[in-house]
Amino acid sequence: MLLPWEYGVRNLARRPVRTALTLVALATVVMLVFVVVGFIRGLEKSLAVSGDPQVVLVYSVNAEQNIENSSIAARTPDLLTASLDGVQKRFGVTHVSPEMYLGTRIKTRDGDAGLGLVRGVTRTAPLVRRGVKIVAGSWPGPGQVLVGRLAYAKLGSRSESLTIGQTVEFEGKTWTISGLFVAGGAAYESEIWCNLAEFQTATKRQDISLAAILMAPGASASRVQLFCKERTDLELRAIVETDYYAALQQHYKPVRLLAWFVVVLVSSAGIFAGLNMMYGAVAGRVREIATLQAIGFRRRAVLLSLVQEGLLLSAAASLLSGFIALVLLNGMAVRFTMGAFTLRIDSVAILVGCGVGLALGILGALPPALKALRASVAISLKAV
Amino acid sequence: MTLVELNHVSKSFSKGDETITPLDDVSLQIDAGEFVSLMGPSGTGKSTLLNLVSGIDRPDSGTIHVDGTEITGLSRSKLADWRAANLGYIFQTHNLIPVLTAYENVELPTLLLPLSSAQRRDRVQLALEAVGLVDRAEHYPRQLSGGQEQRVGIARAIVAHPKVVVADEPTGSLDTETSQQIQVLLQRLNQELNITLLMVTHDADVAAIASRQLLLDHGRFLESNGAPQSDNNKASLSS
Repeated sequence: MLLPWEYGVRNLARRPVRTALTLVALATVVMLVFVVVGFIRGLEKSLAVSGDPQVVLVYSVNAEQNIENSSIAARTPDLLTASLDGVQKRFGVTHVSPEMYLGTRIKTRDGDAGLGLVRGVTRTAPLVRRGVKIVAGSWPGPGQVLVGRLAYAKLGSRSESLTIGQTVEFEGKTWTISGLFVAGGAAYESEIWCNLAEFQTATKRQDISLAAILMAPGASASRVQLFCKERTDLELRAIVETDYYAALQQHYKPVRLLAWFVVVLVSSAGIFAGLNMMYGAVAGRVREIATLQAIGFRRRAVLLSLVQEGLLLSAAASLLSGFIALVLLNGMAVRFTMGAFTLRIDSVAILVGCGVGLALGILGALPPALKALRASVAISLKAV
Repeated sequence: MTLVELNHVSKSFSKGDETITPLDDVSLQIDAGEFVSLMGPSGTGKSTLLNLVSGIDRPDSGTIHVDGTEITGLSRSKLADWRAANLGYIFQTHNLIPVLTAYENVELPTLLLPLSSAQRRDRVQLALEAVGLVDRAEHYPRQLSGGQEQRVGIARAIVAHPKVVVADEPTGSLDTETSQQIQVLLQRLNQELNITLLMVTHDADVAAIASRQLLLDHGRFLESNGAPQSDNNKASLSS
């Protein structure tokens, strides 16, 4: 038979200051766990949604995995269109997007300057990048740019600096923002798009970085890959876009592992908060615990009640942190080398955060409870 | 009818290099409905004996039977169950649970019994009536006087209708007037409810309210007048 529920609940109010301090400590630990897990989930989500299995990227074989370093001839898209079957074509438009992708210093009107990502594109880009949606303004005309939802985060600027009508400076030219776009959390959201020809002029380049090809339904990417392998003179490489981002996931694996390691470290530190509280709570109740056993409560019942106390407190801390994380952390933009992404407090993050929180309560309560219950009842009844 | 029977019970403790043997081959019988007081100087094993009878400590040798059950052979969990059903414990310092009301404190032992909530409520009500504290049922221990706290402790000890109630210095922390009230209450419980009581006390006046007074001295039971007790007086010394 278990002890009454009220016993555990009211015991928490017995030392209100200690309980409040422990609640804050546990909530802080759980919050840190939410931040780290939110970071991991945001990064994973950003890379996971960035690829389209129907899109094949063709870029320089010398660029390895980094498209920024790629340089291919501007005629490559036309060559591909002419040589390949299976490329999506609709209303006479072939869905191939020639793009120039560059990391460059961008200055906002507020004077903030940061390293941003600019993609020079043509009107075929939205046909290939099917996740991109213009949510405000319009497609960029001459001297104009289209700004991704998270471009400000990549620049380390404020979102107000990149609104429609504002100007930005890069590659020695001033550009006016004509519109804003989203891409469902994909990496493009941290980019600034402008007209390819204008961008080539500004950068004094004639080449492009890549050609993105949308394959027709049922058509295989292997055709493009075979073409690139056979036309060695072009020095091209083809990769399905989802494979490209999967490779990047692997590239960031050490970062993710390190983040999980931080979760473990932070959680371990949190256990001490729980232990400190429960040792204090149990130390002053040695005689009371012995009394309960003398009345006839089994050790297991007393143990469960003490664990219940730790669990109640850690559950409250988890709920508090979960609420704050959902309201304040979820969607917060984070910069990283490849662009920017948002912290993602999703079901997995909630599960991990609350799971760690509850584990802190249980692991923090067990050692002091076991210690108290191991003592002789007869001796503990005489404890002061 | 013998309710509590100790046969050749010994118990030793180690204190540093020294071994203390407060009980050495002690035998004792207590009849159902008896009120036995146990006196003796400090360290003579009074509380040890009480702890052995209540099953919260185990003897090194010998057997203890309560109402036919050999409690020395029970596991820790079985002993806990046995205490819940058969034993009431009155503590010197009341040992009430501070976060529970008087009612909830008294109710605790009934939670361990197969009773409906209505039966539990009736038992608690009767126990509180027996100690005259119905009007303090919703008070927390900190809102009660020392005497009231001890009465709640007594109600908690009798609420499960135990076969035997042990009391460890039940008046030890009370003033004279309150002590007398508790003594009257204990006598009444023994006489009116026929509860078997084994009480440890330092106070000869308190011991005098019991129907049988035993003096424990260096492992020997003596009559209250100082003479060794004989077998036909139901307590024996075999050492």
